[in-house]
Amino acid sequence: MHEGSISIRIEADVREIERLNRLVRQFGELHEVPSRTLYAVNLALDELVTNVVLYGYDDPTGKEVIIKIATGGSELVASVCDGGRPFNPLDVRPPDLNAPLEDRELGGLGVHLVRSLMDHVSYSREGDQNVLTIRKKIR
Amino acid sequence: MQIKEEKQGDVMIVNIDDHLDTAAAPLFEQRLLGLIDAGERKVLVDCSRLEYVNSAGLKVFLLAAKKLEPLNGTLIIGCLAPSVLMIFEMIGFTRIMKIAPTREDALKAFSSTVTP
Repeated sequence: MHEGSISIRIEADVREIERLNRLVRQFGELHEVPSRTLYAVNLALDELVTNVVLYGYDDPTGKEVIIKIATGGSELVASVCDGGRPFNPLDVRPPDLNAPLEDRELGGLGVHLVRSLMDHVSYSREGDQNVLTIRKKIR
Repeated sequence: MQIKEEKQGDVMIVNIDDHLDTAAAPLFEQRLLGLIDAGERKVLVDCSRLEYVNSAGLKVFLLAAKKLEPLNGTLIIGCLAPSVLMIFEMIGFTRIMKIAPTREDALKAFSSTVTP
């Protein structure tokens, strides 16, 4: 894996997520991020940005989300920054994976995936911004 | 993502490909639940050409399985690529849904389920 970084600014719009995913994969391939790691980071960023776009704003028109990715040493670090309402995804109750089908709830799947796929996830509120940082070690 | 349906005996096979993501999930939900509403009770989603799924897509499988269960129907998810299967395992769906490694296994599983 090569050292490098990228900052991606997208509109808070579902249609932008596909473009984000493409840029993340291009960055990963260019920096020779192992494919399993890239798949995990791609999915985690997709989930986090989808949450912001769908639930972060009363009206997302004209709002932006900034995604940063940095590779170096044996770790990939990425962050999602938005000016939406204060929201810490880590407060979301994890789904009960042992529940029978009829009791399984539809919510919380995305955040559970992020936590499961990443080695470390942290949230901070910085001024009027939500900053969610994810880390994945290269093994 | 493209969705193609085919009927084999009394089994409705739904083939999906590429990316089942936030943009594609609403259409997949409409089609899959629409088939159940139209009376299909044995539904196989063939994922052999599916490369990527996120939680929006996973929710559709959960919705369909939940809808079929009280109708004595069966949803089988077939031919998952290893990277997609890993996501199904991570979210616990392999415990509550029927997963078949091949289309043949899936069709066999349907014929062994007794329809009342």
